[in-house]
Amino acid sequence: MRQNFRWIVVLGCIAVFAAFPFLLGEYWLHTAILSLFYVMMASSWNLLAGYTGQVSFAHAAFAAVGAYASGLSALYWHLPPLLTALFGAGIAALLGLALGALCIRMGGIYLSLTTLAFSEILRIILDNEYEITRGTMGLQVPFFFPTYSKVSAFYLMFVVTIGMLSLIFWLIHSDLGTSFRAVQNDETAAASLGINIVRVRIVAFVVSSALAGLAGALYGHYHQLITPEIASLNTMFLILAMTVIGGLGTFSGPIVGALFLEVLSEYIRVYGEFHVLIFGLIALVIARFAPVGLIGLWRRTSLAKQSSKTIAG
Amino acid sequence: MRKIVPMAFFQVTNVTKHFGGLTAVHDVSFELKEKEIVGLIGPNGAGKTTLFNLIAGAFRCSEGRIQFEGRQIQQLKSYQICRLGIARTFQIVRPFAEMTCLENVLVAFIGNNRYAGNLSKRKNEAARLLEFVGLARMLEQSAGNLNLIDKKRLEIARALATRPRLILLDEVLGGLNSGEIAEALSLIHTIRDEWGVSILWIEHVMGALMKVVERVLVLDNGRLICEGPPDEVVADRCVIEAYLGESDD
Repeated sequence: MRQNFRWIVVLGCIAVFAAFPFLLGEYWLHTAILSLFYVMMASSWNLLAGYTGQVSFAHAAFAAVGAYASGLSALYWHLPPLLTALFGAGIAALLGLALGALCIRMGGIYLSLTTLAFSEILRIILDNEYEITRGTMGLQVPFFFPTYSKVSAFYLMFVVTIGMLSLIFWLIHSDLGTSFRAVQNDETAAASLGINIVRVRIVAFVVSSALAGLAGALYGHYHQLITPEIASLNTMFLILAMTVIGGLGTFSGPIVGALFLEVLSEYIRVYGEFHVLIFGLIALVIARFAPVGLIGLWRRTSLAKQSSKTIAG
Repeated sequence: MRKIVPMAFFQVTNVTKHFGGLTAVHDVSFELKEKEIVGLIGPNGAGKTTLFNLIAGAFRCSEGRIQFEGRQIQQLKSYQICRLGIARTFQIVRPFAEMTCLENVLVAFIGNNRYAGNLSKRKNEAARLLEFVGLARMLEQSAGNLNLIDKKRLEIARALATRPRLILLDEVLGGLNSGEIAEALSLIHTIRDEWGVSILWIEHVMGALMKVVERVLVLDNGRLICEGPPDEVVADRCVIEAYLGESDD
């Protein structure tokens, strides 16, 4: 019964989303595409931070790696962007492997600081290697298809997002996902039970970096302009806020959080710089009253309803 | 012709562990036979848990060798040692607090690649193990919500799920009442008799320990000061001095 209900909700959401190009104008379709990008970013970051406890600040940087690798190879080698996006994901995975291996002996704040440094180093390189990256001017890259259309971009992003979410769902319910959570809960105990924690942590790093690279590559080809802004801490903190506000360590949390904040940011854009302040306030309120995020809030109320039913019945 | 020396099941040879200037374990050597239950006792800070950490690969020996079923294991990592067949419980319990009891046991199956192809069988086996330690009604409970005694039971269930040949128990009786101690002792007997697992057991609840073990090792200040059957060890002068201090005469 609950299972069925869940599937109906999921299929309903997919149907509504799939109908967006018929329902929304240009502007909101653009917002929907951005939301999809953030859903991918928040969900893949959650895989690393929420399920293995490695709070990396390099996730936006990996999106930039994917975007630039894909954009540059499409520009210089004239390969189709759909192919180079996969190449971008591969390069991000490789760098993820390197950074993950570097961070393997680190936990908590040390890992966060190292990934933060990586992220800033990458952004500075992207800013300054003007000859290759065009710096803050941005790199002009081709669109996915020969003819530009927002609708086709939307459906492409939509299909990739569904695929990525399915992969993440499958992963967290697989043995690997169970190992992720065991490592997050207690590394020493996990190792004593035969879990190779080094491998588990690196796999999480590589997978989440590859997914970020793919998302970043699609984002770049959609905008047709890649700037170092993707690798900025602004982007990173937005992804972090989305995940935490939605519900860190839950599957649907980052999805809800990304959609909520992206749509919200369209409404509060008029306040300019103040919209960061509003995000901060929301994060504060959520952290105080709903530590497991919006999803936790929803679960709690539905649990309360259930138990009050049992008491009444 | 070479003479065939019977190989010890488990052998610790001249193991030493320094932490900076402190020598926590000093030149310790002993053997365990298959299906043997051996107690490891000693005053607080004697190095008992450190010795466990060395055997289980959580710490690296400064000197010495550890052999298990003919293999040197002192260089191996925790997860490798577990896969070879040495499991442990922790004195300060370490449940995966946000996971259910069932999932806690599944981690041990996953780590040792057991029942990988048969998920329903795996779940049944996990449930059976939890029943065995007395957690039948807690399968879907978060491990973090268990009381201390149940957390200790979970430690044992997880350790058994790795299908060990040798299990290191670290103070599993602490905080139990007499009825629960009796239950735990019969559990430990079953683990040895029916599962054929050797047991090395640190315990402060001396009366209960002495009833079960065949041999006792006594550590004091990192050194092995006495080894033998329980009744001999409790009468040993060195042991009495270690626990009560030196006598005047």
